[in-house]
Amino acid sequence: MVDPRLASRLAHRAAYLVLAAVLIVLRLLPLSTQPSAWPLPDLLLCLTLAWLLRRPDHVPALSIVAVLLIEDLLTLRPVGLWPLIILSVTEILRSRSSGLRDLPFVVEWMVVAGAVFLAGLIDWVVLALALAPQVGLGPTMVQAALTVMAYPAVVAALAVLLGIRRIGDTDAPTRRRLT
Amino acid sequence: MARDRRGDDIYTRPLRRILIGALALILLGLFLLWRIDSPRVERLRVAIVDRVVPNLDWAMAPITRLYAMAEGFRSYAALYEQNQELRRELQQMRAWKEAALQLEQQNAKLMAQNQLRLDPKLTSVSGVVMADSGSPFRQSVLLNVGASDGIQDGWATTDGLGLVGRISGVGETTSRVLLLTDVASRIPVIIQPSGQRAILAGDNSAAPLIEFVESLEKVRPGDRVVSSGDGGVFPAGLLVGQVALDRNKRLRVRLAADYERLTFLRVLRSRPIERITDPGDLVVPPQVPSAAGAPAGAIPPTGKGVEGADG
Repeated sequence: MVDPRLASRLAHRAAYLVLAAVLIVLRLLPLSTQPSAWPLPDLLLCLTLAWLLRRPDHVPALSIVAVLLIEDLLTLRPVGLWPLIILSVTEILRSRSSGLRDLPFVVEWMVVAGAVFLAGLIDWVVLALALAPQVGLGPTMVQAALTVMAYPAVVAALAVLLGIRRIGDTDAPTRRRLT
Repeated sequence: MARDRRGDDIYTRPLRRILIGALALILLGLFLLWRIDSPRVERLRVAIVDRVVPNLDWAMAPITRLYAMAEGFRSYAALYEQNQELRRELQQMRAWKEAALQLEQQNAKLMAQNQLRLDPKLTSVSGVVMADSGSPFRQSVLLNVGASDGIQDGWATTDGLGLVGRISGVGETTSRVLLLTDVASRIPVIIQPSGQRAILAGDNSAAPLIEFVESLEKVRPGDRVVSSGDGGVFPAGLLVGQVALDRNKRLRVRLAADYERLTFLRVLRSRPIERITDPGDLVVPPQVPSAAGAPAGAIPPTGKGVEGADG
């Protein structure tokens, strides 16, 4: 028989990949080709960070990198830089995720905000140093701010839809919800 | 972390760290490769998009259709006013149609008198927009026609009325249209009726900027902007839009194409404009060995002479 804990973990890993694919496809839809005044928040980053801080074992580094690399290729971003930055950020957060779990949500939110802004800034600086064509720092920071604002909503959606909550101990509620 | 992990941590953790390091190195290498040999990586990107996005059609088409239906439903509310407005416009259009017919006849007569030869007639390939750029900072769409339909990089794309952008990146069955609103888009234009030449520069807003105008005082809001053939980028005379002033008194173009909903786009097959590069050679009598290679029918008098020399 398959170990139920292992099965749940694999199911959640698959769920992350499927959700990420859905988010990417939604962004590719040609609903409006008019340039929007406000950049949309990067929901994929929100999802990744929220999931990572709750259940690090559901989002292995390899799936994060694969998802972001595909997003890079499909959405015309410089290839490889953003996955590299997010890989570093998530690895740092992963090693601190157990400590963050016991702190209030506001602290977690602040940490995520710092991570998102830092990632955006590093991305901008590296692209500027590499003399690659890119948008200004302003829109990047606006997008980072919107991403941070969207974070609680993504967290709530994760808790409601998939039962992935912030808890001290690991499996109990998830398993109850899955079976 | 200690709570999550099992006892075999001491062995897996260093191994994991090495693997993460390798992953990071691969990504760094990929980024450097993209920076150094951009065209090759972009070709790879086009190939991947070409492979992936058409397969997503089953998922994307229903959502797009639903959204369009919702939009259509919302517009029912404004149906009456729209109808009135359309009637008024139709009235005006009738007058214009009459004027256009007369002008067309006059034009045909004048051209016949002049023996004028226009650009080789433009033919076009139509395609459907499949996908967006997916990024808030890039403005481009993906069409479902590609190299197999003869599409080439740089061709102009219109929505039937106004210029939309140009082809930038061609896959086997898809091609990407860089919209005029993208930051990377620069198009040479002429502002009518003053004939001022300028560059239309996209800046991620709905109305691109007009740059490098020689004498600003000759340009007025409401002037027509059409593409110019400068630099061989585009066929000349395609309608782009109208001049407008923004809040900072900068000149912008209100685009004629309906950017709100781009669905069917028309790619104009344009031939590269022939260029005259050399100042002209001396006219010398044709020499026998070089003339022997030329087709006999091309220059009848010398052709006969060559045949005689051979025989």
